[in-house]
Amino acid sequence: MVEPEVEDKRITLKEAVKLIPDGAELFWGGFGFQRPPMAFAHELVRQKKRNLHIYTCGSEIDIDILAGARVVSKFELAFFAIEGIGLCPNIQRRIKEKSVQIEDYTNLAMALRFLGGALGVPFMPIKSMLGTDLIRKYRFRKNKLKVIECPFTGEKVCLVPSVKPDFSIVHVQRVDKEGNAQIDGVIGEDSEGAKCGKKVIILAEEIVEPEMIRLKPDSTVIPNVYVDYVVECPWGSYPMMVYNYYDYDMEHILLYYNQCKTEEGWQKYCEEYIIGVENHMEFLQKIGIKRLMQLRAKKPFGY
Amino acid sequence: MAEKNYAKPGEFSTLEIMAVCGAKAIKNGENVFVGTGLPMIAAMLAKRTHAPKAKIIYEAGFIDSNAKDLSLSIADSRLGYKAAAAIGLIETLGILLQGGRVDVGFVGAAQIDEYGNINTTYIGDYENPIVRLPGSGGGNDIVSSAKRIVIIMTHQKRKFVKKLDYMTSPGHLDGPGARKREGLLGGGPSLVITNLCQMDFDEKTKRLRLKTVHPGVTVEQVLENTGLDLIIPEHVPETELPTYEELKILRAIDPKGIYLKKDKK
Repeated sequence: MVEPEVEDKRITLKEAVKLIPDGAELFWGGFGFQRPPMAFAHELVRQKKRNLHIYTCGSEIDIDILAGARVVSKFELAFFAIEGIGLCPNIQRRIKEKSVQIEDYTNLAMALRFLGGALGVPFMPIKSMLGTDLIRKYRFRKNKLKVIECPFTGEKVCLVPSVKPDFSIVHVQRVDKEGNAQIDGVIGEDSEGAKCGKKVIILAEEIVEPEMIRLKPDSTVIPNVYVDYVVECPWGSYPMMVYNYYDYDMEHILLYYNQCKTEEGWQKYCEEYIIGVENHMEFLQKIGIKRLMQLRAKKPFGY
Repeated sequence: MAEKNYAKPGEFSTLEIMAVCGAKAIKNGENVFVGTGLPMIAAMLAKRTHAPKAKIIYEAGFIDSNAKDLSLSIADSRLGYKAAAAIGLIETLGILLQGGRVDVGFVGAAQIDEYGNINTTYIGDYENPIVRLPGSGGGNDIVSSAKRIVIIMTHQKRKFVKKLDYMTSPGHLDGPGARKREGLLGGGPSLVITNLCQMDFDEKTKRLRLKTVHPGVTVEQVLENTGLDLIIPEHVPETELPTYEELKILRAIDPKGIYLKKDKK
């Protein structure tokens, strides 16, 4: 019997980032310290993308880099900070100089907006935000949300507009060349976030053989039918963490946080670790194999 | 029940008594929604003392977490240790929380007003903010829909204000009945724990009321550090002291003092 041929969606990180035009809207994956598409952020900076519009729930150094390098001008999100450390230093500055605008929602609101986009319905109802400034104030989205009386029960309910961004960018543990993406540990909003994008780019720690995926299809969170491109990207969330693969690098996170408190410090960081290296591999070489090995996850704990 | 073996003032830090207050706000068997920091430690203490059947939920997707190590991020892999499930955000904030299955949620606040409304988004004017804070995250979702809310924060005049710079999360809004009128599902704030005292809410007016003062703290000190009209009952008891057992467990949870830093002398 002849096995059907499997589609090969693999491209390089550079090729993937080239697909993104200036001004594009992106769903940005990862949650907090977990699985941010850091390598993709670095490459967006290297390719000097401009005016991107990012949708996410909560992100940290990854989106701070994008604000610092003037890649992103608009965010719709619920949260940004470097948890346990402090506020995002670059975004803080870009807000003050009014080159970055933020439209505020809640985590559940953003996740439901992605689910709505994925489901193909124009809005989703939510029972958060009622009675607060999240309802009363908006920054650039005039139709940010709408409070209505439920046509069935008469109770007040908030409607949030669904999102269908041009691209969804999600970093996962493993994927096969056909785009079957498996996530270990918490998923955050990445399942809905991936599925609402018009084009979906999956970055993964490992590209595995299709047999491995199909031995455990119950671990597949984003199946091939949604996915357009696959990028192999080991250590792609460094200095943040990927469950079952590596822990965060607190030394580097603190270096980033402390250095980026000033514009000059940020420019120096960007030059040294992002612009000044040719690609993700060179960045990893700069960090060094010794440091990376120290961060590898211990079994069975996953960190 | 054995008599409680209370520690003496000076044998514990302010953060330690705050963590113990937080733990006591959790009842056995409850579903508890927490973030990192003191709430995480409070929930871990509760599970190791009077509330072993409490289930700790973190919004990134960890359900019934039994972490042995402290974590910095609510999505930290450490929280997956011996968890019942690692799922997603629509499950935690949507189906569990908005679905009415969360008994108590813990949140922080940069500013709070006398109805327990919370600001975690902007300091200063919305058009020209002095500081842009992290925003709601899941905070507004939790405060909107959990059956009751415990707020843990530091006690400063600029944080306890008459008017918030921005209302991120709904306390009792403008008073009794307001939450229901706006369509909110949860019960709203029931307790505020600070480095000086505990406060609850007057049933009639839904306004903030002093409940207990921590050992060595006077009512006057609380008032000096409060910029809003706090209800002061006739009798304000002292906060129950931590026991040696509670302190022992707390110090095992955070041996390096990451969250339970010692008081500055």
